[in-house]
This record gives sequence, C-alpha cells and structure tokens, in this order.
Amino acid sequence: MSRERRQLVLMLAPFLAGLVVLVLLPAAATLAMAFTETDLIATSRFIGVANFVELTRDPAVRAAVGNSLSYLAFSVPLRLVIAVALALLLHRRARGAGTARAAVLLPGAVPELAYGLMWLWLLNPIQGPVNQLLLLGGQGGRTVFGTLPPQWLTDPEDARAGIVLMSLFTIGETFVIVLTARLALPPEAYELAELEGARAGQVLRRVTLPLLAPVLAVLVLRDTVLSLQASFVPTLVVTNGGPPPYATTYLSLVIYQEAFEYLRYGYAAAVAALTLGLTAVAVLIQWRLLRRWAAHGLVGMGAHRPGS
Amino acid sequence: MTAGLSLHGVHLSRGAITALRGVDLAVRRGELLVVLGPSGAGKSSLLRAIAGLDAVTGGTVAIGGRDVTALRPGLRGVSMVFQSYSLLPHLTVADNIAFGHRIRGADRRAAAARAAQAAAAVGCGDLLARRPHQLSGGERQRVALARALVREPEVFLLDEPLANLDAALRTSMRTEIRAVHDRLGATTVYVTHDQSEAMALGDRIAVLRDGRIEQVDTPDGVWHRPRTRFVASFVGAPGMTLLPGDGPLRLPGVEATAVELGVRPEHVTLTSAGGTAGPLGEVARVEVLGEDALVHVRLGGHALTARVPARTRPAPGDRVAVGVAAEHLHAFDKVTGERIPLPAGADRAAAR
Repeated sequence: MSRERRQLVLMLAPFLAGLVVLVLLPAAATLAMAFTETDLIATSRFIGVANFVELTRDPAVRAAVGNSLSYLAFSVPLRLVIAVALALLLHRRARGAGTARAAVLLPGAVPELAYGLMWLWLLNPIQGPVNQLLLLGGQGGRTVFGTLPPQWLTDPEDARAGIVLMSLFTIGETFVIVLTARLALPPEAYELAELEGARAGQVLRRVTLPLLAPVLAVLVLRDTVLSLQASFVPTLVVTNGGPPPYATTYLSLVIYQEAFEYLRYGYAAAVAALTLGLTAVAVLIQWRLLRRWAAHGLVGMGAHRPGS
Repeated sequence: MTAGLSLHGVHLSRGAITALRGVDLAVRRGELLVVLGPSGAGKSSLLRAIAGLDAVTGGTVAIGGRDVTALRPGLRGVSMVFQSYSLLPHLTVADNIAFGHRIRGADRRAAAARAAQAAAAVGCGDLLARRPHQLSGGERQRVALARALVREPEVFLLDEPLANLDAALRTSMRTEIRAVHDRLGATTVYVTHDQSEAMALGDRIAVLRDGRIEQVDTPDGVWHRPRTRFVASFVGAPGMTLLPGDGPLRLPGVEATAVELGVRPEHVTLTSAGGTAGPLGEVARVEVLGEDALVHVRLGGHALTARVPARTRPAPGDRVAVGVAAEHLHAFDKVTGERIPLPAGADRAAAR
C-alpha cells in the first residue's frame, strides 16, 4: 500500500467505522429481523417471509404506501419550485433581502415537535389562523367564494393537503443550496443573454434553469429520500395518522406504531424494508429520467468547469 | 469618415469607483480599434459602456450614427466575446452559436444553418456537435468568436479574448482574428493589456489610463510619437527609459529642468568605453532574449535599458559608452507628462 493510499484509508477510517457500526450493521440487523417475530420480551422466532406476506394484506400498509407516494408526488415538486422561486427572487442584493433570506430559513430551525404543535394550532378549524384567514370577507362560516373552509383535521383529503402544506415551509436547506448555486453562476452568461436581448422568461428557461439543473437534480433525489421519512413527526403530532382509519398514515408512522406501540419489531422491520425498497425505486426512476434528459441536452448534467 | 462607433464625454462610475472619466472616441466603420491599458485602466468598463451592460453616468454612445445611450444592450446591435468565453455548458457548440438567433425567435433550422456558416468562417465547423467541456481553450475561443459573429453585429466587442490562451496559441489566434476581421470588415473594439497584441492587431490603438484616453493613433504613431510619458513607458517591451532632462542625456533647445527625456531601448547604442564620445555607464544586468539582449546600464545614478544584438552584447560590469541619436529622443513635460515637440534641427545630443 502506497503512502498516499495508507493516508487516505487512515483519514477515512473514522467515517467508515461510523458508517459500518451505526448504519450498515443496524440496517442488516433490521433486514434480518424482518424475517422474525420479535417483541423484545420472548425469544425472537424465525418465521420466513410471513411478515412480508402480511404486509400485502395489511390495510394500514396499503393505505400508507398510497399516502406516502402521493405525499412524495406533491411535496417534492412543490418544495423545489418554492425554494427555487424564493432563491431566484432573493439572490440579488437588495434592501430587505437578507432579512427575507433569514425568514425563509427560520421554519427549518424550529424543532420538529414544536413545529408540529404549532401547526396543530394553525390548522385548528375554528380558532386556527389559517382558516380565520380563509374566512376573511366570507359570510356564514364560508370563504369569499362561498365554499366551506378546509377541515384540516377531520376530512381525509384536507388532512393530507395539510401535511403537504406543513412541508412547504421547511425548505431552508434546499433554498440555501439553490441560492448558493445561483450566486455561483457566471455573470457573463447573463450578460450574454442581455446582449442578445433575451427577456426574463427566456433567461430563466435558457440560462438559469439549465445551468442550475445539475444541482436541482441532486436536490430532487435528496428530497425524495427525505420525504418518505419527513412525514413522520407531523402525522404523529398533528393528525396521529387520522382522520380514521388511515387518511394520513404514512409508512414512517406505520413503522413507529408497529414497533413501539404494538411491540411487533419484526413486522416493523419488514415495513422499513418496504420503505427502503420504495425509496430505491423512486430514486432509480428519477435517475433514469434525468440521464435520458441529459442525453438530449435538456439539462446540463455535464460538469461545468471554470472557463467553459 | 463614416462613424461606426462614437463616444462623447463618457463617464462611468459605480458607487465610489469611477471607471471612465470623460472618454471621447471615434471608431470608423470597419476599423479594428484596440483599447490598450494596464489593468484597472477602465478597458472593460469602456466595452461595457459601449455594450450597455453598464449604464453610463455621463456622455453619449452612438453606433452607426444612432444615439444608443439610453438603449438596452439587446437593441444596440453589438456582440461581445468575453475573456472567459462564456459558453453555456449545457448546449452543443451549434446551439451555443445559435443561442442569439433562437432568443430572437429564429426557427431551429434557420438558426442552425447560420451557426454552421459562422462556425465555418472561424474554422470550427467540425466542432458543432461537441459540448464546451470537450473543447480546448483555442477551440472555445473560436466558438465564442463564431457566436459573436453570427449575429452580424454593427459593432463587435472583444474583451481580452486571448488572455486565457498559452503564448503560442495567442500569437496564431491573433493573426486569425485579424484575418477574420479583414474578411468580414465588422467595426471592432478589441481590449487588451498586451501591447504587442495591440501593435500587431490594431488599425489604431487607443491607450487608456485611469479612465481617460491618453492617445489614439496608429501603431506607428503610438510607437514613434507617444503623446504622453505614460504611453511612452507603457508601449514597448520594455517601454521607453525616462530620464530627467538635466540628466546624462541632453537635448538642446528644450528647457532641461522642465522636461523628461525618453528613449526606446531599441534606439540606444552601446560601444566599448574609450571609443566614440558619449556618456559612460556600467553594465548592471544582461537579459538575453534570443536574437536580442536587454542590457541594463547604470548611467550617472540613473538606469537605462538598451536592446542590442545578443552577439555583440557587453558583459555585466563592462564600461560602455551610451549613444542616442537626437531624433530618437522624446521630450515630455515634467509636470503634465505631455509630449513636447522636438526643436527643429536638433542633432546628435547624447554628448554632454
């Protein structure tokens, strides 16, 4: 082993050790547990694929898969669009831009539990500020358009929308990454567009978005992975999986309930494996799409180097 | 003179920084004007003012006789080559060149045809399908040129386009740029800090210093009749040696204490001491540049540089007699730095 190699291995060792001990081994243990019946009291028992068979028939799991996928389908694109819009709006130096940037970051700094409790109040159908706002100008408990306000905590559709709504404000990280990426784009690209007389929309479509595309692609993949887990705290605190039976029961909540409420660790492990599988599939599909777009030159997946 | 581009009293300042302080400049249609100056002189600001990328804070810019001072960059009919080339990494060479036409609504096929034509004109027709990261520096430079040319601009602006290339490529590309200009005849403003590039390329050279134009003249004029002390010392490799008028070299007919005298290293002759008349100096340092050598001479407490054939160069420590013909001496006002016309009939003056 050459000197450099040895140094590399030494420097990577703490991280690799942590990765193996804290992530890979527990993951392997979890996967193994998925083939057992484990309640941490009796000796665990190997039961083959029984947990997985049960998964396919479990109405809670079926609902959770649908809910998780629909959450992913709405939350990921909306979060990205909002973060990109805010980043492009706030990347210039302007009066108040600094304050506004801080404001975008702030919700992400609130501890998740507190954030959930806050939304429990915000979404309260009667005293909640959200509905108070929606009722402004309306009459007889209806909005200006004459519709009933959303019943965030009792109507299944509205509850799912509420969970997505909550996710749209914790975009600080995505925002910061897009902001930084935008600031790193070469000003000459914009001056070039200006010299050609490009309008704002053309600049966005032909310069900004393609140049940001490599970063956006990574963010989409990352947010997809996260979103299958991020729905956990709000559903636990705000809706507790309801309205009944499973309107906002997501995979993360099922895992929690099976493991820590029903003490069915083996079954919970099977649901966790299912979640991992779903995540992998979603990421794979996106990755293939991006590769195909890149091949057609629709997004700039190629490295852009200084001076190019 | 047909006006290709004219600037009158252009001022440009941003915040506390003033980049241009009253620039007057007229570029003839089809002329290649080189703007030469040290970094920080305002060269790029001048280009940006012409292009409209920075709004001028005073004065007017006219292109083809039309006042464009208030127009957006896109309406001025200018195109620009940036030092960094600024090719869009997600587009092929063809699409990069066609970028402007597509922005202005040309259909894909027409824009592609124009792009291919422009690429062929600058010798990168075989690169159309590549992406910028697959190109060498010289190739990127060609593509950037093609992109600027494809629009057939009224004024063509180049901002240090060769600065990122290695020396050999720089020399060959500048010849090509000149050839392309001669073929297409676009009014061109070319910014550089490299005086040899300026001399080689320009129909005329505008020497810029500190936001002001010191001189606009042909390369010959800038070389032989520098209008200011700054031009004299900036142009040339190295530039003129400047000595006080009452120093080792004298020029009859000018007030010795009120002037500085300049002499190009090329016009200094060195002979071994004891021969012909002339002030004696001591060789301090010799730099051999192939055929020629730069000889730095200590001369009565002053430093003077001579460019002599390398084969006949003196050695460090040699005593040499310094000879300069009076017609090769330039006199500049000590205070203002302006050139003072030489008195008629001044003859050999190197002797004290």
